[in-house]
Amino acid sequence: MHGKHLISVALLWAGLTAIGELLVFADLFPAVGSHEAEDFDSIFRFLLILGIPVFTFVIAVVAYAALTWRIRGERPAEDGPPIRGSGWVPRIWLAVTGALAVFVMIHPGLTGLAKLQSSYTAYGWGKEEADLEINATAFMWQWTFDYPDGTQVSITKGKEVVIPVNKHVRFNVNSIDVVHSLWIPAFRMKIDAIPGRTTYMTVFPTELGAYDEDQSYRVQCAELCGLDHSKMWLPIRVVSESEFEAWLASLKSEGK
Amino acid sequence: MYAVKSVFGALGLGLIGFYLGLGIVAILRWLFGYPDAWGGEINIIGGWVLGVFMWLMGIGMWGQWGREWFGLKTYNRQPPGWQRYFTFNTDHKVIGIQYLVTFMVVFFLAGALAMLMRLELAQSGNQFISNGQYNGAMGLHGILMVAVAVAAVIGGIGNYAVPLMIGAQDMAFPRLNAMTFWLVPPVAVGLLATPFLGGIEHGWTAYPPLAIRANSAQILFDLSIITFGLTSILGALNFIITIIYMRAPGLSWGRLPIFVWAMFATSWIALLYTQGFAAALLLVLLDRLGFSFFDVAGGGDPLLYQHVFWFYSHPAVYIMILPGFGLALELIAHFSRKPLFAYRYAVAAFLGILGLSGVVWAHHMFTSGMPNYLHGPFLVATELISIPTGLIFLSALGTIWLGRLWLKPPMLFALAVIFNFACGGVTGIFLADVPTDIHLQDTYFVVAHFHYTIVGGEIFALFAAIYYYFPKMTGRMYNERLAKLHFWWMFIGFNATFFLMHLPGIKGMNRRIADFPSELDPVNMAISLAGFFLGASFLVFIWNMVYSWVRGPVAEANPWQARTLEWQTSSPPPLENFPVPPVVSGGPYDYGVPGSKHATFPAAPSAGFAGAPAGGGGQ
Repeated sequence: MHGKHLISVALLWAGLTAIGELLVFADLFPAVGSHEAEDFDSIFRFLLILGIPVFTFVIAVVAYAALTWRIRGERPAEDGPPIRGSGWVPRIWLAVTGALAVFVMIHPGLTGLAKLQSSYTAYGWGKEEADLEINATAFMWQWTFDYPDGTQVSITKGKEVVIPVNKHVRFNVNSIDVVHSLWIPAFRMKIDAIPGRTTYMTVFPTELGAYDEDQSYRVQCAELCGLDHSKMWLPIRVVSESEFEAWLASLKSEGK
Repeated sequence: MYAVKSVFGALGLGLIGFYLGLGIVAILRWLFGYPDAWGGEINIIGGWVLGVFMWLMGIGMWGQWGREWFGLKTYNRQPPGWQRYFTFNTDHKVIGIQYLVTFMVVFFLAGALAMLMRLELAQSGNQFISNGQYNGAMGLHGILMVAVAVAAVIGGIGNYAVPLMIGAQDMAFPRLNAMTFWLVPPVAVGLLATPFLGGIEHGWTAYPPLAIRANSAQILFDLSIITFGLTSILGALNFIITIIYMRAPGLSWGRLPIFVWAMFATSWIALLYTQGFAAALLLVLLDRLGFSFFDVAGGGDPLLYQHVFWFYSHPAVYIMILPGFGLALELIAHFSRKPLFAYRYAVAAFLGILGLSGVVWAHHMFTSGMPNYLHGPFLVATELISIPTGLIFLSALGTIWLGRLWLKPPMLFALAVIFNFACGGVTGIFLADVPTDIHLQDTYFVVAHFHYTIVGGEIFALFAAIYYYFPKMTGRMYNERLAKLHFWWMFIGFNATFFLMHLPGIKGMNRRIADFPSELDPVNMAISLAGFFLGASFLVFIWNMVYSWVRGPVAEANPWQARTLEWQTSSPPPLENFPVPPVVSGGPYDYGVPGSKHATFPAAPSAGFAGAPAGGGGQ
C-alpha cells in the first residue's frame, strides 16, 4: 500500500528539488573581491545544493499527505492504520541523517575551517606574516587605519581605505571603547574588535574594486555599538601595487 | 469591583514599596557619607526589590501565603467570572489563561514595534525615526519577543494543558505557580518603561562594555530580566515536580503525551541554564556600580560576558522551540488519526537536544576572536543537534503518512511548523559552519534564520495550540473560516517576509541598523510590504478570538475527538479538572487500534488521588 504513494512523493520531491536547485544560479552574492570570497561562495553553493533536497523532501511529504489523505467530511469517519514506526524505518532515517550531518560537519565544515585557519589567512588569534599589515582601531562610531609607514586613514583623513591587489593584507583589529566588528562584504570576512585584545583577519584581494562601483566594498561595523552603529563604515578600494604606492605618497605629500 | 481594587491596590503598594526601597538605600548611603546619595542607580535596585515584593504581597500573596509565615490563618477570596483573572489565583487553568492573554498583548506590542522598524527600513537613509529611536525600538522588540517566546507556550499552554494531560488536579505547587505569573507584570512594566529613560541601546543581548556605558534604561532591563529569569526557573521547577509526581495512576513514562515529554525536557533546560543569563546581567549591573568584570582597564574581559550570556541564551532557543515541537507532534498525531510515529525516537530526540543544548553556545561567537581551537568543537557539537532534530521530523512525517488528515486550523498551523522549521533548520547549517558564518554572522541572514525557527516553529505552534485549546479554555468555538483565513494570510505573509530577508543578508546588509546601502533598496521595500501584510493578518485573529470568546457557539467537551485526558472532561473543565479521577490504561495515540482505551473513569474516586504515587502505581 506504500508503493504508489512512495513513487508519487519521490516524483514530487524530484520536481521540487529541480525547481529549488535553480536558486543556486541566482544572483545571490555581493562582488567577489578576494580568495576568501571565492571560498565562501563555493561553500555556500555546496551547502545550498545539499540543503535544498532536505527542505523539498519535507515539503513534498507534507504537501502530498495534505492533498492525498485529507478528510473531506465534517468528522473523521475512521482512524488511520496504527503504524507505530518501531522497525527499520527509524533506523535507516537515523543512519541517513547521521551520515549527512557528519558529512557536512567534515566537509565543508572542518575542511573549510582548516583552510580559514591555515597560516596565511591567520583568522582570529593567529598571527602570521603578511605582505601588508594595517592596524585598524574601532571607536564609537568610526575607524582609523594605520599603515606601516605611519599613514593614517579615517573619516577625516583620506576618507577611504586603500589596499593593493594580490597581496596578503592583514588587519590587526583593536577597539578603544565597546565591541565592534570589522566586516568587508566583498571579501566575506569579519572579525570582532574587542577592547583589550587584538584580533587578526587576513584577506587576499584578487580583483580591483571600489565602493563607487560596488557597495560591498566597504569596511562596515557589524556588531551593535550604540547610537550611530549604522553609520560606522568607510569605503575600501583595491588598487594595483603601483597605484597603492602612489596613493601612499600622495597622502604623505599632503602632510596627512 | 473586587478585581479592580485588587490590582490597583497592589499597584499602589508596589509604588510605595518602590519609593520606600529607593529611600532606604539612599538614606543608608547618606548616613555612611557616600557622594550623591539621592541619585545613582543603586537606589533603583533597592526600589525594585521592595517594590516587586510589596506588589506580590498586595496582589494576594500576603493573604494566601504570607500570613502563614507568621502563624496566621490564610484566607482566599475568589471573585466569580472574569474577575478571577485579576487575582492571585492558584488554579493552573486560570494561570495558563493569564499567561496566554498577557503574552499575546506583549506579542502585539512588540509586533507593532516591528512594523515601525520595517517602516524605517523600507528605504535607505533615515525617514521616520532617528538612529537612537530605532535602536530603542529594535532592542525592545527583541527582548519582548524573547519573553513571549520563552513564556507564552510554557507559561500559557504548558500551565493550562500539562496538569490536564497527566490527569492531575493542579500543578505540584499552586501558590508558587501563581507567584511566577504575578512576577510578570513588574517585568512588563520595567521593560515598557525603558523608552522613558532613553531606550534600550544595546539590543536584547546587552553586550558590555556598551551595556555598561549605556543610559539608565539598562538598569531597568537588568532588573526586569533577572526577575523574569526567576519566574522561568520557578516555573521549570514546578513543571518537573508536577510531571514526575502528579501523573494519574497508570500514566507511565511510555504513555506520556509527547507535549508533556517536551515540557519535561524544556523545564530541565530552563532550570539548568537560566541562571547564566541572570548571572551575566547581574555582573553587568555590578559593573555599572563600579565593579570591573568586563572592563579591560580594571582587569576584566568583555568576552567573558559573551560566554556566560550564550551559555544560557543558546539553550534558551531550545526552551522556545521544544514545546513548539511537542505541540506540533501532539496535534499531528490527533489530527492524522494515527499513533505518533516512532514515539520512542521522538522522546530520545527531546532528551538528546536537552543533552546537547549546553555544549553549543560558542557558535554565536565564531567571529568574536575567541581562541581558534574552540571553533572546531563547537562546529561539530552544533551540527550534531541536527540528528535529534531530524528525528522530530521523522516522527511528524511518519505520522501523517497514510493518515486521515483532518485539516482543521490547529492541524494547518502544526503542519506549517514542520514546513517552516525545515527551512530554518537548513539555513542553520550555514550558520553552524564556521567558513560561511564568518560572512553571515550579524547579517539579515541570521535575522531570517531565527525568525524562521522561532516564529515559524514556535509561534506557529503557539497559534496551533490556541486554536486547539480555545474551545476547552473558553467553552466556546471560534469561527473556523476566519481561523483558516488567518492561517493562510499569516503563512504566506510570514514566508514572503522572512524568505526574502535572507537575500540582503548575503548581499551585505548587517542587522540592527536604521540605515543600509542604497543598492539594497528594492529588496527591503519588498520585505517591508510583506511585513505589513503579515502584521495585518493578526487583526483577523484578534477579532475572531475576542468575538468568539463573548459570542461564539457553545463548544463540546471533545470537538476534536482526541484521546488525551484534557478532552475527557467538560469544556471548560471544573475547578478540580475531572469530576472523577482518571485511571490510565493505554497509550495516548492508539488511533485505529480496536478496543484500545487511553483512560477510564472508575465511578468511585480512588482514595489517595491527590497525593497518589505517580505513574507506575497502576501498572
